Amino acid sequence: MIAVDGLHKAFGDVVAVRDVSFAAADGEITALLGPNGAGKTTVLRMIYGLLRPDAGRAMVDGCPVADDPVAARRRLGVLPDARGLYPRLTAREHARYFGRLHGLGGAELERRIDALVERLDMGAIADRRVAGFSQGERVKVALARALVHEPQNVLLDEPTNGLDVMSTRAVRQLIRDLRAEGRCVVFSSHVMQEVSALCDRVIVLGRGRVAAEGTADELIATTGASTLEDAFVLASGGDLQAANESLEAP
Amino acid sequence: MNALRAVVAKEMVDALRDRRSLMSALIFPLVGPILVGVMLTTVSKTFAADEDEELPVAGAQHAPELVAFLRNAGLAIVDPPDDPDTAVRDGDVDAVLIIDADYGEAFIAGRPAPVRLVVDRSRTSASALRRRVTGTLGAYGSKLASLRLLARGVLPEVVQPIDVEVRDLATAEKKSANILLVVPIFVILATFIGGMHVAIDSTAGERERGSIEPLLLNPMSTFDLVMGKWLVTVAFSALSAVLTLLFCGLVLMLVPLEDLGIGLRAGAFEALAILLIVLPLAPLASGLQLLVSTFARSFKEAQTYLSLLLFLPMIPGFIGSILPLRTAAWMYPVPALSQQVLITEVLRAEPTSWAGLVIAGVCTVAFGVICVWITARVFRRERIIFSGQ
Repeated sequence: MIAVDGLHKAFGDVVAVRDVSFAAADGEITALLGPNGAGKTTVLRMIYGLLRPDAGRAMVDGCPVADDPVAARRRLGVLPDARGLYPRLTAREHARYFGRLHGLGGAELERRIDALVERLDMGAIADRRVAGFSQGERVKVALARALVHEPQNVLLDEPTNGLDVMSTRAVRQLIRDLRAEGRCVVFSSHVMQEVSALCDRVIVLGRGRVAAEGTADELIATTGASTLEDAFVLASGGDLQAANESLEAP
Repeated sequence: MNALRAVVAKEMVDALRDRRSLMSALIFPLVGPILVGVMLTTVSKTFAADEDEELPVAGAQHAPELVAFLRNAGLAIVDPPDDPDTAVRDGDVDAVLIIDADYGEAFIAGRPAPVRLVVDRSRTSASALRRRVTGTLGAYGSKLASLRLLARGVLPEVVQPIDVEVRDLATAEKKSANILLVVPIFVILATFIGGMHVAIDSTAGERERGSIEPLLLNPMSTFDLVMGKWLVTVAFSALSAVLTLLFCGLVLMLVPLEDLGIGLRAGAFEALAILLIVLPLAPLASGLQLLVSTFARSFKEAQTYLSLLLFLPMIPGFIGSILPLRTAAWMYPVPALSQQVLITEVLRAEPTSWAGLVIAGVCTVAFGVICVWITARVFRRERIIFSGQ
């Protein structure tokens, strides 16, 4: 369960996020949908506590992130925007390192790593050093280390960005599995089909604000648009006619 | 505690698999001692060459007695160059002695007989021969003076009102200390070079790879994290220092030090003392390097900063070679300076100040811990985590 209330963040003169509030429930997939620069990553960073909000607060399972970041991080598994790996460590060693930093160890940690290797279909690459891994393989390693402590809440920043079809399908399946286990999943995306195919709730961000909120169908209904994509353009402050004309223009 | 152990284990595996980290820890301990060996061998060769130094003499036929005296003093008399002034100026020869044609005439008449010594005072390599020739000429002069006085019935003591005897208090240990001072300099440098790449890789490297953000999402304290990185860096730095000292010892056993006229008394005790003095620099160097390279956005930027940092432990040595530093109590708490002072004491076989050694060690390590603490404070800054994106 993640709840954010009145989040505000400015970098110098540029206001990146203003007065963003929403809640993401357990057993549901919540999407932060918005064009590039809408503030999705900034909102996620404030939820996992590496950015301090100028105003407002984020709560993870009722635990205020700013006051008790360690407790919040224990309940969070995050695939951040930066997915840097250690080129000289193997995939399994990445998961083991993060597991140990969460206080896990011994047979229990190895069991979880084995389970993740199987779940992410990493059997062939698990004991290879990650230098030279493909984009898809790198995301799998990053996911394995983010989920090794079996967090109740999962934040994924554009998880399918740059992945091929097979890897994208694997990640989508993982997101559905996490929901089936009753976890709270929040992911950001600017890909419409992905959001409509996966999400229980959509939060549309535009220019740092929550532009619209609801299920995919609700969004279409309230904006009077015919598809989620149109709803997205309308909600994020765009001019639908201008957008369509520019699409049709040669 | 668990987190600290996890960080140490990970950073150790990572560093041991990194060729650059291993190279900087293992290559330098070889380079330093080889340089020491080459330096000492060269010095011992010039000392050994002392015996049959050559002196070009022009007009030797005018003063066969004087030439014989010079030869007796161990100088090899050789033919002069065509143009003595140019030959000396160009450094082809160190000195040329010119005996004028009217030497014999003046000598018989009892007037000062003219000889000219052509030298270049700005050339330090020629100063040994210059001193030797002028000394020998002086000795020949006073021998003749004594004989002339005796011939006139005057005791030579009459013209020798004072008798100067110089007693050189430099012991063999003190002489060798001046040359062997390069060994501790290399050991000190090793503490700064050994852990350099580990320090960069675990700070600026994390930033450049973009692995610092996921890493900081884990629920450990930043102090545990930086401490773990520090301990591994210290291990590499200390290993490098120990190896440098070992190889230096090996080289000193192989170099013919007797030819230098110095009995090397530095043995296991001195080596152990140097290690005790220098090892506290490993935690300091590592802490300082972690702190500085945390502010670097990339590996290359950090390398630039850290190579400048290498001059830091050299500063006391440079100042000491210009202004002779007298050991004072305030020097012991100052890192790098205290090590310099203590090592000089040990190598000169002066009584070691144990209190000074303890103060120096504790203060140096304390400065290292302060660096770690500051690094841990800045590690979670937004500017550090999210820069370069």
